[in-house]
Amino acid sequence: MTAQTATRLRQRKAPLKMRLVPYLFLLPNMAIFGVFTVWPAINGFNISMYSSSNGRTFRWEGAGNYQRILTDEDFWGIVRNTVVYALSFVLLSVVVGVMLAVLVDQQRRGRTFFRSVFFIPVLISPVVAGLVWNWMLERQNGLINTFLGSLGIPEIPWLVDNNLAMVVVIGVGTWMQVGFYMLILLAGLQSIDPSVYEAARIDGASRWRQFISLTFPLLQPSILVVVVLATIHGFQAFDFIYTLTGGGPVGATTLIVQFIYENGFVSPIRYGVASAGSVLLFCAIFGLTIVNWMIGRKREAA
Amino acid sequence: MSRTTVTKSPPKMGPAKTWTSTGRSKITSTDALRVVILVTSALLALIPIVWLVLGSFKTPAELSERPPTLLPETWGLSNYTEAMTRFNFVSYLTNSVIVTLAATLLTLAINSMAAYALAKYNFRGKNGLFLLTLATIMIPLQVILLPVYQVVASLGMVNTLWGLIIPAAATPTGVFILRQYMLSIPDELIEAARVDGAGEFRIFVRVVLPMCRPALAVVAILSIMWRWNDFLWPLVVAQSESVYTLPVALARFTAEETVPFNLIIAMSVVTVLPVIILFLFFQRQIVTGIANTGIK
Repeated sequence: MTAQTATRLRQRKAPLKMRLVPYLFLLPNMAIFGVFTVWPAINGFNISMYSSSNGRTFRWEGAGNYQRILTDEDFWGIVRNTVVYALSFVLLSVVVGVMLAVLVDQQRRGRTFFRSVFFIPVLISPVVAGLVWNWMLERQNGLINTFLGSLGIPEIPWLVDNNLAMVVVIGVGTWMQVGFYMLILLAGLQSIDPSVYEAARIDGASRWRQFISLTFPLLQPSILVVVVLATIHGFQAFDFIYTLTGGGPVGATTLIVQFIYENGFVSPIRYGVASAGSVLLFCAIFGLTIVNWMIGRKREAA
Repeated sequence: MSRTTVTKSPPKMGPAKTWTSTGRSKITSTDALRVVILVTSALLALIPIVWLVLGSFKTPAELSERPPTLLPETWGLSNYTEAMTRFNFVSYLTNSVIVTLAATLLTLAINSMAAYALAKYNFRGKNGLFLLTLATIMIPLQVILLPVYQVVASLGMVNTLWGLIIPAAATPTGVFILRQYMLSIPDELIEAARVDGAGEFRIFVRVVLPMCRPALAVVAILSIMWRWNDFLWPLVVAQSESVYTLPVALARFTAEETVPFNLIIAMSVVTVLPVIILFLFFQRQIVTGIANTGIK
Protein backbone atom coordinates (compact mmCIF):
# COMPACT_ATOMS: atom_id res chain seq x y z
CA MET A 1 0.00 0.00 0.00
CA THR A 2 1.43 3.35 -0.98
CA ALA A 3 1.40 6.29 1.35
CA GLN A 4 -1.09 7.98 -0.92
CA THR A 5 -3.75 5.34 -0.69
CA ALA A 6 -3.13 5.12 3.02
CA THR A 7 -4.00 8.75 3.53
CA ARG A 8 -6.91 8.41 1.19
CA LEU A 9 -8.16 5.50 3.24
CA ARG A 10 -7.72 7.44 6.42
CA GLN A 11 -9.49 10.40 4.94
CA ARG A 12 -12.37 8.24 3.90
CA LYS A 13 -12.60 6.46 7.21
CA ALA A 14 -11.81 9.06 9.84
CA PRO A 15 -14.36 11.61 8.62
CA LEU A 16 -17.28 9.25 9.38
CA LYS A 17 -17.50 10.81 12.80
CA MET A 18 -15.80 13.97 11.69
CA ARG A 19 -18.23 14.46 8.85
CA LEU A 20 -21.08 14.89 11.30
CA VAL A 21 -19.26 17.50 13.36
CA PRO A 22 -19.88 20.58 11.20
CA TYR A 23 -23.57 19.71 10.91
CA LEU A 24 -23.83 19.44 14.67
CA PHE A 25 -22.23 22.85 15.03
CA LEU A 26 -24.71 24.27 12.55
CA LEU A 27 -27.74 22.54 13.97
CA PRO A 28 -28.96 24.94 16.71
CA ASN A 29 -28.61 28.01 14.53
CA MET A 30 -30.14 26.43 11.45
CA ALA A 31 -32.98 24.86 13.44
CA ILE A 32 -34.08 28.23 14.85
CA PHE A 33 -33.41 29.83 11.51
CA GLY A 34 -35.47 27.24 9.67
CA VAL A 35 -38.40 27.23 12.07
CA PHE A 36 -38.64 30.99 12.61
CA THR A 37 -37.41 32.46 9.32
CA VAL A 38 -37.21 30.13 6.36
CA TRP A 39 -40.40 28.16 6.95
CA PRO A 40 -42.49 31.27 7.78
CA ALA A 41 -41.10 33.00 4.67
CA ILE A 42 -42.38 30.12 2.54
CA ASN A 43 -45.58 29.70 4.49
CA GLY A 44 -46.29 33.43 4.12
CA PHE A 45 -47.20 32.89 0.48
CA ASN A 46 -49.50 30.06 1.50
CA ILE A 47 -51.28 32.03 4.24
CA SER A 48 -51.93 34.87 1.84
CA MET A 49 -54.31 32.55 -0.02
CA TYR A 50 -56.56 32.18 3.02
CA SER A 51 -58.71 34.51 5.03
CA SER A 52 -59.39 34.51 8.74
CA SER A 53 -60.94 36.86 11.22
CA ASN A 54 -59.32 35.39 14.33
CA GLY A 55 -56.04 33.83 13.19
CA ARG A 56 -57.22 30.29 14.03
CA THR A 57 -59.82 29.19 11.50
CA PHE A 58 -59.01 29.76 7.86
CA ARG A 59 -60.98 29.85 4.66
CA TRP A 60 -59.50 29.32 1.21
CA GLU A 61 -59.54 32.48 -0.88
CA GLY A 62 -57.11 31.79 -3.71
CA ALA A 63 -56.11 35.11 -5.18
CA GLY A 64 -59.09 36.76 -3.51
CA ASN A 65 -57.03 38.62 -0.92
CA TYR A 66 -54.86 40.15 -3.59
CA GLN A 67 -57.88 41.08 -5.61
CA ARG A 68 -59.36 42.69 -2.53
CA ILE A 69 -56.40 44.84 -1.59
CA LEU A 70 -55.38 45.73 -5.11
CA THR A 71 -58.83 47.17 -5.76
CA ASP A 72 -58.97 48.83 -2.34
CA GLU A 73 -58.43 52.59 -2.48
CA ASP A 74 -57.21 52.73 1.12
CA PHE A 75 -54.51 50.22 0.33
CA TRP A 76 -53.28 52.28 -2.61
CA GLY A 77 -53.16 55.28 -0.29
CA ILE A 78 -50.93 53.26 2.02
CA VAL A 79 -48.74 52.18 -0.90
CA ARG A 80 -48.42 55.81 -1.92
CA ASN A 81 -47.48 56.87 1.63
CA THR A 82 -44.91 54.08 1.86
CA VAL A 83 -43.31 54.93 -1.48
CA VAL A 84 -43.22 58.66 -0.67
CA TYR A 85 -41.66 57.93 2.70
CA ALA A 86 -39.14 55.37 1.47
CA LEU A 87 -37.98 57.45 -1.52
CA SER A 88 -37.58 60.65 0.48
CA PHE A 89 -35.91 58.76 3.28
CA VAL A 90 -33.34 57.13 0.99
CA LEU A 91 -32.61 60.41 -0.77
CA LEU A 92 -32.29 62.42 2.44
CA SER A 93 -30.20 59.71 4.09
CA VAL A 94 -27.70 59.71 1.24
CA VAL A 95 -27.51 63.51 0.92
CA VAL A 96 -27.33 64.29 4.63
CA GLY A 97 -25.19 61.22 5.31
CA VAL A 98 -22.59 62.18 2.69
CA MET A 99 -22.63 65.78 3.88
CA LEU A 100 -22.07 64.85 7.51
CA ALA A 101 -19.44 62.23 6.64
CA VAL A 102 -17.44 64.67 4.50
CA LEU A 103 -17.66 67.40 7.13
CA VAL A 104 -16.68 65.06 9.96
CA ASP A 105 -13.86 63.63 7.87
CA GLN A 106 -12.40 67.07 7.18
CA GLN A 107 -12.81 68.25 10.74
CA ARG A 108 -9.59 67.61 12.54
CA ARG A 109 -10.51 68.92 15.94
CA GLY A 110 -13.29 67.01 17.66
CA ARG A 111 -13.85 64.50 14.90
CA THR A 112 -14.62 61.64 17.27
CA PHE A 113 -16.92 63.90 19.28
CA PHE A 114 -19.06 64.84 16.27
CA ARG A 115 -19.11 61.26 15.03
CA SER A 116 -20.46 60.09 18.38
CA VAL A 117 -23.00 62.88 18.67
CA PHE A 118 -24.46 62.14 15.23
CA PHE A 119 -24.69 58.47 16.14
CA ILE A 120 -26.59 58.97 19.39
CA PRO A 121 -30.08 59.26 17.78
CA VAL A 122 -29.47 55.81 16.23
CA LEU A 123 -29.25 54.37 19.73
CA ILE A 124 -32.47 55.88 20.97
CA SER A 125 -35.45 53.58 21.27
CA PRO A 126 -37.62 54.47 18.24
CA VAL A 127 -40.68 54.45 20.47
CA VAL A 128 -39.10 57.14 22.63
CA ALA A 129 -37.90 59.09 19.58
CA GLY A 130 -41.46 59.26 18.26
CA LEU A 131 -42.75 60.24 21.67
CA VAL A 132 -40.26 63.07 22.18
CA TRP A 133 -40.74 64.55 18.73
CA ASN A 134 -44.50 64.36 19.14
CA TRP A 135 -44.13 66.32 22.35
CA MET A 136 -41.77 68.90 20.83
CA LEU A 137 -44.01 69.39 17.79
CA GLU A 138 -47.18 69.93 19.80
CA ARG A 139 -49.12 72.67 18.12
CA GLN A 140 -49.82 75.07 20.93
CA ASN A 141 -47.25 74.46 23.56
CA GLY A 142 -44.51 72.49 21.84
CA LEU A 143 -40.87 73.48 22.05
CA ILE A 144 -40.57 74.04 18.32
CA ASN A 145 -43.60 76.22 17.81
CA THR A 146 -42.69 78.20 20.93
CA PHE A 147 -39.22 78.79 19.53
CA LEU A 148 -40.58 79.73 16.10
CA GLY A 149 -43.15 81.96 17.78
CA SER A 150 -40.38 83.91 19.48
CA LEU A 151 -39.02 84.59 15.97
CA GLY A 152 -42.44 85.87 14.94
CA ILE A 153 -43.44 82.79 12.95
CA PRO A 154 -47.09 81.79 13.47
CA GLU A 155 -48.10 78.41 14.89
CA ILE A 156 -47.44 75.56 12.46
CA PRO A 157 -49.87 72.58 12.56
CA TRP A 158 -47.04 70.02 12.31
CA LEU A 159 -48.94 66.87 13.16
CA VAL A 160 -52.40 68.09 12.17
CA ASP A 161 -51.87 68.84 8.51
CA ASN A 162 -51.63 65.74 6.28
CA ASN A 163 -48.65 66.82 4.21
CA LEU A 164 -46.77 68.41 7.07
CA ALA A 165 -47.21 65.24 9.12
CA MET A 166 -45.58 63.23 6.33
CA VAL A 167 -42.73 65.75 6.18
CA VAL A 168 -42.29 65.37 9.94
CA VAL A 169 -42.28 61.57 9.71
CA ILE A 170 -39.63 61.68 6.97
CA GLY A 171 -37.58 64.17 8.96
CA VAL A 172 -37.71 62.20 12.20
CA GLY A 173 -36.97 58.95 10.37
CA THR A 174 -33.87 60.51 8.86
CA TRP A 175 -32.90 62.06 12.19
CA MET A 176 -32.99 58.61 13.77
CA GLN A 177 -30.96 56.74 11.16
CA VAL A 178 -28.66 59.11 9.34
CA GLY A 179 -25.88 58.75 11.92
CA PHE A 180 -25.70 55.07 11.08
CA TYR A 181 -25.30 55.73 7.35
CA MET A 182 -22.79 58.47 8.12
CA LEU A 183 -20.59 55.87 9.84
CA ILE A 184 -20.59 53.63 6.76
CA LEU A 185 -19.82 56.58 4.49
CA LEU A 186 -17.13 57.85 6.83
CA ALA A 187 -15.41 54.46 6.69
CA GLY A 188 -15.63 54.66 2.89
CA LEU A 189 -14.11 58.14 2.86
CA GLN A 190 -11.25 57.09 5.11
CA SER A 191 -10.36 54.20 2.84
CA ILE A 192 -9.75 56.59 -0.07
CA ASP A 193 -6.04 56.96 -0.70
CA PRO A 194 -5.07 60.54 0.32
CA SER A 195 -2.54 60.73 -2.51
CA VAL A 196 -5.29 61.18 -5.11
CA TYR A 197 -6.14 64.47 -3.41
CA GLU A 198 -2.50 65.46 -3.42
CA ALA A 199 -2.50 65.22 -7.21
CA ALA A 200 -5.72 67.18 -7.49
CA ARG A 201 -4.39 69.91 -5.24
CA ILE A 202 -1.26 70.25 -7.34
CA ASP A 203 -3.52 70.64 -10.35
CA GLY A 204 -5.25 73.44 -8.49
CA ALA A 205 -8.66 71.80 -8.24
CA SER A 206 -11.05 73.58 -5.89
CA ARG A 207 -12.53 71.70 -2.93
CA TRP A 208 -15.91 71.47 -4.63
CA ARG A 209 -14.25 70.20 -7.80
CA GLN A 210 -12.34 67.63 -5.74
CA PHE A 211 -15.56 66.47 -4.16
CA ILE A 212 -17.41 66.11 -7.47
CA SER A 213 -14.72 64.42 -9.50
CA LEU A 214 -12.83 62.48 -6.82
CA THR A 215 -14.66 61.93 -3.55
CA PHE A 216 -18.08 61.23 -5.00
CA PRO A 217 -17.03 58.58 -7.57
CA LEU A 218 -14.65 56.91 -5.13
CA LEU A 219 -17.38 56.83 -2.51
CA GLN A 220 -19.85 55.02 -4.82
CA PRO A 221 -19.47 51.57 -3.22
CA SER A 222 -20.30 52.94 0.24
CA ILE A 223 -23.18 54.97 -1.18
CA LEU A 224 -24.54 51.81 -2.76
CA VAL A 225 -24.47 50.04 0.60
CA VAL A 226 -26.32 52.98 2.14
CA VAL A 227 -28.92 53.00 -0.65
CA VAL A 228 -29.56 49.28 -0.25
CA LEU A 229 -29.85 49.44 3.54
CA ALA A 230 -31.89 52.67 3.54
CA THR A 231 -34.33 51.16 1.04
CA ILE A 232 -34.86 48.14 3.29
CA HIS A 233 -35.15 50.34 6.39
CA GLY A 234 -37.44 52.78 4.61
CA PHE A 235 -39.96 50.12 3.69
CA GLN A 236 -39.85 48.74 7.25
CA ALA A 237 -40.57 52.01 9.05
CA PHE A 238 -43.12 51.54 11.78
CA ASP A 239 -42.04 51.88 15.42
CA PHE A 240 -41.34 55.62 15.72
CA ILE A 241 -44.39 56.48 13.62
CA TYR A 242 -46.54 54.51 16.07
CA THR A 243 -45.80 57.02 18.83
CA LEU A 244 -45.17 60.07 16.62
CA THR A 245 -48.41 60.27 14.63
CA GLY A 246 -50.00 56.86 15.15
CA GLY A 247 -50.38 56.81 11.37
CA GLY A 248 -52.58 59.89 11.38
CA PRO A 249 -53.97 62.38 10.75
CA VAL A 250 -56.63 60.19 9.12
CA GLY A 251 -54.15 57.68 7.77
CA ALA A 252 -51.89 60.26 6.13
CA THR A 253 -48.76 58.68 7.62
CA THR A 254 -49.90 55.06 7.78
CA LEU A 255 -47.25 52.93 6.06
CA ILE A 256 -47.41 49.32 4.95
CA VAL A 257 -45.99 47.72 8.11
CA GLN A 258 -48.60 49.44 10.26
CA PHE A 259 -51.23 48.21 7.79
CA ILE A 260 -49.95 44.66 8.22
CA TYR A 261 -49.82 44.96 12.00
CA GLU A 262 -53.28 46.44 12.34
CA ASN A 263 -54.99 44.03 9.98
CA GLY A 264 -53.19 41.08 11.53
CA PHE A 265 -53.49 41.89 15.22
CA VAL A 266 -55.92 44.72 15.94
CA SER A 267 -59.60 43.98 15.61
CA PRO A 268 -61.30 43.82 13.21
CA ILE A 269 -58.71 41.26 12.13
CA ARG A 270 -58.36 40.72 8.39
CA TYR A 271 -55.63 38.12 8.30
CA GLY A 272 -55.72 37.40 4.60
CA VAL A 273 -55.43 41.05 3.66
CA ALA A 274 -52.53 41.49 6.06
CA SER A 275 -50.61 38.53 4.67
CA ALA A 276 -51.25 39.54 1.08
CA GLY A 277 -49.83 42.95 2.02
CA SER A 278 -46.78 41.22 3.53
CA VAL A 279 -46.11 39.27 0.36
CA LEU A 280 -46.31 42.47 -1.69
CA LEU A 281 -43.93 44.18 0.74
CA PHE A 282 -41.52 41.27 0.44
CA CYS A 283 -41.63 41.50 -3.35
CA ALA A 284 -40.98 45.23 -3.19
CA ILE A 285 -37.97 44.88 -0.87
CA PHE A 286 -36.59 41.92 -2.78
CA GLY A 287 -37.05 43.55 -6.18
CA LEU A 288 -35.56 46.87 -5.13
CA THR A 289 -32.55 45.24 -3.50
CA ILE A 290 -31.82 43.37 -6.72
CA VAL A 291 -32.30 46.51 -8.82
CA ASN A 292 -30.01 48.49 -6.52
CA TRP A 293 -27.28 45.91 -6.80
CA MET A 294 -27.61 45.70 -10.56
CA ILE A 295 -27.34 49.46 -10.94
CA GLY A 296 -24.31 49.38 -8.66
CA ARG A 297 -22.72 46.59 -10.68
CA LYS A 298 -23.26 48.43 -13.93
CA ARG A 299 -21.72 51.57 -12.50
CA GLU A 300 -18.70 49.62 -11.35
CA ALA A 301 -18.29 48.00 -14.74
CA ALA A 302 -18.62 51.27 -16.62
CA MET B 1 -8.04 46.42 12.77
CA SER B 2 -10.04 49.61 12.88
CA ARG B 3 -9.49 51.83 9.96
CA THR B 4 -12.00 54.33 11.22
CA THR B 5 -10.34 55.10 14.49
CA VAL B 6 -6.99 55.97 13.03
CA THR B 7 -6.83 59.73 12.89
CA LYS B 8 -5.59 60.83 9.55
CA SER B 9 -2.46 62.89 9.76
CA PRO B 10 -2.83 66.34 8.27
CA PRO B 11 -2.45 65.86 4.54
CA LYS B 12 0.19 68.52 4.15
CA MET B 13 3.74 69.10 5.25
CA GLY B 14 4.86 72.06 7.30
CA PRO B 15 3.97 73.25 10.75
CA ALA B 16 0.62 72.50 12.34
CA LYS B 17 -2.23 74.93 11.96
CA THR B 18 -2.70 77.58 14.57
CA TRP B 19 -4.85 80.65 14.76
CA THR B 20 -1.91 82.87 14.04
CA SER B 21 -0.21 80.90 11.30
CA THR B 22 -0.42 82.50 7.91
CA GLY B 23 -0.28 81.34 4.34
CA ARG B 24 -1.82 78.15 3.11
CA SER B 25 -2.75 76.86 6.54
CA LYS B 26 -4.78 79.80 7.81
CA ILE B 27 -8.31 79.28 8.99
CA THR B 28 -10.44 79.86 5.93
CA SER B 29 -14.10 80.73 5.62
CA THR B 30 -14.68 77.13 4.48
CA ASP B 31 -13.36 75.91 7.82
CA ALA B 32 -15.60 78.32 9.68
CA LEU B 33 -18.65 77.31 7.65
CA ARG B 34 -17.89 73.64 8.26
CA VAL B 35 -17.71 74.14 12.02
CA VAL B 36 -20.97 76.10 11.98
CA ILE B 37 -22.78 73.33 10.08
CA LEU B 38 -21.31 70.63 12.30
CA VAL B 39 -22.28 72.40 15.51
CA THR B 40 -25.81 73.10 14.24
CA SER B 41 -26.27 69.46 13.23
CA ALA B 42 -24.91 68.31 16.58
CA LEU B 43 -27.47 70.52 18.34
CA LEU B 44 -30.24 69.10 16.17
CA ALA B 45 -29.14 65.59 17.06
CA LEU B 46 -28.98 66.25 20.77
CA ILE B 47 -31.77 68.71 21.59
CA PRO B 48 -34.60 66.12 21.69
CA ILE B 49 -32.62 63.95 24.09
CA VAL B 50 -31.64 66.87 26.32
CA TRP B 51 -35.24 68.08 26.27
CA LEU B 52 -36.41 64.64 27.35
CA VAL B 53 -33.94 64.41 30.22
CA LEU B 54 -34.78 67.94 31.40
CA GLY B 55 -38.47 67.11 31.19
CA SER B 56 -38.06 64.07 33.39
CA PHE B 57 -37.32 66.36 36.36
CA LYS B 58 -40.30 68.66 35.84
CA THR B 59 -43.52 68.41 37.81
CA PRO B 60 -46.83 67.98 35.93
CA ALA B 61 -47.57 71.63 36.65
CA GLU B 62 -44.28 72.72 35.10
CA LEU B 63 -44.86 70.50 32.09
CA SER B 64 -48.17 72.14 31.28
CA GLU B 65 -46.85 75.67 31.70
CA ARG B 66 -47.13 78.03 28.75
CA PRO B 67 -44.69 78.82 27.30
CA PRO B 68 -42.68 75.75 28.31
CA THR B 69 -39.90 76.34 30.82
CA LEU B 70 -36.40 75.40 29.81
CA LEU B 71 -34.91 74.14 33.06
CA PRO B 72 -36.80 72.32 35.81
CA GLU B 73 -37.34 74.29 39.02
CA THR B 74 -35.85 71.52 41.11
CA TRP B 75 -33.88 68.47 40.15
CA GLY B 76 -36.07 66.13 42.19
CA LEU B 77 -36.43 62.49 41.22
CA SER B 78 -40.11 62.33 42.12
CA ASN B 79 -41.16 61.36 38.58
CA TYR B 80 -38.82 58.39 38.71
CA THR B 81 -39.87 57.23 42.15
CA GLU B 82 -43.53 57.69 41.32
CA ALA B 83 -43.15 55.75 38.06
CA MET B 84 -41.56 52.90 40.03
CA THR B 85 -44.51 52.61 42.38
CA ARG B 86 -47.47 53.59 40.22
CA PHE B 87 -47.37 50.60 37.88
CA ASN B 88 -45.30 47.51 37.21
CA PHE B 89 -42.42 49.55 35.98
CA VAL B 90 -39.89 47.28 37.65
CA SER B 91 -41.40 44.27 35.93
CA TYR B 92 -41.12 45.89 32.46
CA LEU B 93 -37.55 46.82 33.23
CA THR B 94 -36.79 43.26 34.39
CA ASN B 95 -38.43 41.81 31.28
CA SER B 96 -36.38 44.08 29.05
CA VAL B 97 -33.17 43.10 30.82
CA ILE B 98 -33.94 39.37 30.76
CA VAL B 99 -34.95 39.36 27.10
CA THR B 100 -31.95 41.43 26.05
CA LEU B 101 -29.40 39.38 27.96
CA ALA B 102 -30.85 35.93 27.25
CA ALA B 103 -31.33 36.68 23.57
CA THR B 104 -27.81 38.03 23.25
CA LEU B 105 -26.29 34.98 24.97
CA LEU B 106 -28.32 32.63 22.80
CA THR B 107 -27.33 34.53 19.66
CA LEU B 108 -23.65 34.44 20.61
CA ALA B 109 -23.77 30.71 21.31
CA ILE B 110 -25.57 29.51 18.20
CA ASN B 111 -24.11 32.10 15.82
CA SER B 112 -20.54 31.35 16.81
CA MET B 113 -21.06 27.60 16.47
CA ALA B 114 -22.56 28.01 13.02
CA ALA B 115 -19.86 30.48 12.02
CA TYR B 116 -17.18 28.01 13.11
CA ALA B 117 -18.63 25.25 10.97
CA LEU B 118 -18.86 27.60 7.98
CA ALA B 119 -15.36 28.95 8.45
CA LYS B 120 -13.29 25.93 9.40
CA TYR B 121 -14.90 22.75 8.03
CA ASN B 122 -15.43 21.40 4.56
CA PHE B 123 -18.72 19.65 4.08
CA ARG B 124 -21.44 19.19 1.58
CA GLY B 125 -23.93 22.05 1.35
CA LYS B 126 -21.59 24.54 3.00
CA ASN B 127 -21.83 27.25 0.37
CA GLY B 128 -25.55 26.77 -0.02
CA LEU B 129 -26.16 27.18 3.70
CA PHE B 130 -23.96 30.25 3.86
CA LEU B 131 -25.76 31.88 0.94
CA LEU B 132 -29.13 31.02 2.42
CA THR B 133 -28.07 32.68 5.67
CA LEU B 134 -26.98 35.83 3.86
CA ALA B 135 -30.06 35.96 1.66
CA THR B 136 -32.37 36.15 4.66
CA ILE B 137 -30.99 39.58 5.47
CA MET B 138 -33.55 40.60 2.87
CA ILE B 139 -36.40 39.01 4.82
CA PRO B 140 -36.95 41.31 7.76
CA LEU B 141 -39.36 40.24 10.47
CA GLN B 142 -41.86 42.87 9.35
CA VAL B 143 -42.41 40.88 6.18
CA ILE B 144 -43.01 37.52 7.84
CA LEU B 145 -44.72 38.84 10.95
CA LEU B 146 -47.90 36.77 10.57
CA PRO B 147 -46.38 33.40 9.66
CA VAL B 148 -43.76 33.71 12.42
CA TYR B 149 -46.48 34.61 14.87
CA GLN B 150 -48.37 31.47 13.81
CA VAL B 151 -45.33 29.31 14.49
CA VAL B 152 -44.82 30.95 17.88
CA ALA B 153 -48.50 30.57 18.70
CA SER B 154 -48.55 26.89 17.75
CA LEU B 155 -45.55 26.33 20.03
CA GLY B 156 -47.45 28.04 22.87
CA MET B 157 -44.88 30.79 23.18
CA VAL B 158 -47.23 33.78 22.93
CA ASN B 159 -47.11 35.85 26.13
CA THR B 160 -43.91 34.19 27.26
CA LEU B 161 -40.42 35.66 27.41
CA TRP B 162 -39.20 32.70 25.34
CA GLY B 163 -41.45 33.89 22.56
CA LEU B 164 -39.58 37.19 22.66
CA ILE B 165 -36.13 35.63 22.97
CA ILE B 166 -35.91 32.69 20.59
CA PRO B 167 -37.40 33.54 17.16
CA ALA B 168 -34.90 36.21 16.10
CA ALA B 169 -31.87 34.67 17.80
CA ALA B 170 -30.29 33.15 14.69
CA THR B 171 -29.15 36.44 13.19
CA PRO B 172 -27.56 36.27 9.72
CA THR B 173 -25.35 39.26 10.48
CA GLY B 174 -23.90 37.63 13.58
CA VAL B 175 -23.00 34.52 11.62
CA PHE B 176 -21.45 36.69 8.93
CA ILE B 177 -19.33 38.83 11.27
CA LEU B 178 -18.09 35.82 13.24
CA ARG B 179 -17.35 33.74 10.16
CA GLN B 180 -15.28 36.50 8.59
CA TYR B 181 -13.32 36.80 11.80
CA MET B 182 -12.80 33.06 12.19
CA LEU B 183 -11.42 32.77 8.67
CA SER B 184 -8.38 34.68 9.93
CA ILE B 185 -7.60 32.09 12.62
CA PRO B 186 -4.78 29.86 11.33
CA ASP B 187 -5.79 26.25 10.69
CA GLU B 188 -2.52 25.07 12.25
CA LEU B 189 -3.72 26.06 15.70
CA ILE B 190 -6.80 23.88 15.35
CA GLU B 191 -4.74 21.04 13.86
CA ALA B 192 -2.26 21.25 16.72
CA ALA B 193 -5.07 20.96 19.26
CA ARG B 194 -6.41 17.94 17.35
CA VAL B 195 -3.02 16.27 17.44
CA ASP B 196 -3.01 16.83 21.20
CA GLY B 197 -6.19 14.78 21.26
CA ALA B 198 -8.68 17.50 22.08
CA GLY B 199 -12.27 16.86 20.96
CA GLU B 200 -13.87 19.09 18.36
CA PHE B 201 -16.20 20.88 20.72
CA ARG B 202 -13.42 21.36 23.24
CA ILE B 203 -11.25 22.95 20.56
CA PHE B 204 -14.07 25.28 19.67
CA VAL B 205 -14.63 26.38 23.27
CA ARG B 206 -11.02 26.46 24.46
CA VAL B 207 -9.08 27.52 21.37
CA VAL B 208 -11.36 29.24 18.88
CA LEU B 209 -13.79 31.23 21.04
CA PRO B 210 -11.12 32.97 23.14
CA MET B 211 -9.48 34.16 19.93
CA CYS B 212 -12.75 35.62 18.65
CA ARG B 213 -13.31 37.95 21.57
CA PRO B 214 -13.28 41.17 19.50
CA ALA B 215 -15.84 39.81 17.02
CA LEU B 216 -17.97 38.35 19.81
CA ALA B 217 -17.94 41.76 21.49
CA VAL B 218 -19.20 43.44 18.32
CA VAL B 219 -22.01 40.90 17.86
CA ALA B 220 -22.95 41.15 21.54
CA ILE B 221 -23.12 44.93 21.56
CA LEU B 222 -25.12 45.13 18.33
CA SER B 223 -27.50 42.48 19.65
CA ILE B 224 -28.00 44.28 22.96
CA MET B 225 -28.70 47.59 21.22
CA TRP B 226 -31.19 46.00 18.88
CA ARG B 227 -33.01 43.82 21.41
CA TRP B 228 -33.33 46.54 24.01
CA ASN B 229 -35.04 48.90 21.53
CA ASP B 230 -36.96 46.25 19.59
CA PHE B 231 -40.64 47.05 19.36
CA LEU B 232 -42.81 45.40 16.70
CA TRP B 233 -42.15 41.79 17.68
CA PRO B 234 -42.57 42.37 21.45
CA LEU B 235 -45.72 44.36 20.67
CA VAL B 236 -47.16 41.35 18.90
CA VAL B 237 -46.02 38.61 21.28
CA ALA B 238 -46.27 40.39 24.64
CA GLN B 239 -50.01 40.88 24.77
CA SER B 240 -50.47 40.59 28.51
CA GLU B 241 -49.02 43.20 30.77
CA SER B 242 -46.84 40.78 32.72
CA VAL B 243 -44.51 40.26 29.75
CA TYR B 244 -44.35 43.87 28.51
CA THR B 245 -40.91 45.18 27.75
CA LEU B 246 -40.16 48.87 28.30
CA PRO B 247 -40.85 50.04 24.71
CA VAL B 248 -44.12 48.09 24.60
CA ALA B 249 -45.27 49.50 27.93
CA LEU B 250 -44.33 53.01 26.82
CA ALA B 251 -46.16 52.78 23.51
CA ARG B 252 -49.28 51.22 25.02
CA PHE B 253 -49.49 53.74 27.85
CA THR B 254 -48.97 56.64 25.47
CA ALA B 255 -51.70 55.38 23.17
CA GLU B 256 -54.13 54.82 26.04
CA GLU B 257 -53.41 58.23 27.58
CA THR B 258 -54.11 56.83 31.01
CA VAL B 259 -50.66 57.32 32.46
CA PRO B 260 -49.59 60.88 33.34
CA PHE B 261 -47.09 62.33 30.91
CA ASN B 262 -44.48 63.11 33.54
CA LEU B 263 -44.23 59.39 34.33
CA ILE B 264 -43.98 58.51 30.63
CA ILE B 265 -41.03 60.86 30.33
CA ALA B 266 -39.24 59.32 33.30
CA MET B 267 -39.80 55.87 31.85
CA SER B 268 -38.48 57.06 28.47
CA VAL B 269 -35.26 58.26 30.05
CA VAL B 270 -34.77 54.89 31.71
CA THR B 271 -35.34 53.27 28.31
CA VAL B 272 -32.84 55.48 26.54
CA LEU B 273 -29.96 55.87 28.98
CA PRO B 274 -28.57 52.31 29.21
CA VAL B 275 -27.89 52.12 25.48
CA ILE B 276 -26.25 55.53 25.38
CA ILE B 277 -24.03 54.59 28.33
CA LEU B 278 -23.14 51.29 26.67
CA PHE B 279 -22.24 53.18 23.51
CA LEU B 280 -20.00 55.62 25.33
CA PHE B 281 -18.10 52.70 26.85
CA PHE B 282 -17.79 50.57 23.72
CA GLN B 283 -17.75 53.28 21.09
CA ARG B 284 -14.73 51.97 19.25
CA GLN B 285 -16.03 48.41 18.86
CA ILE B 286 -19.46 49.62 17.75
CA VAL B 287 -18.10 52.05 15.19
CA THR B 288 -15.70 49.48 13.75
CA GLY B 289 -18.34 46.78 13.74
CA ILE B 290 -20.77 48.90 11.76
CA ALA B 291 -18.13 50.29 9.43
CA ASN B 292 -16.89 46.80 8.60
CA THR B 293 -20.20 45.13 8.03
CA GLY B 294 -22.54 47.96 7.16
CA ILE B 295 -25.26 46.19 9.03
CA LYS B 296 -26.92 46.79 12.34
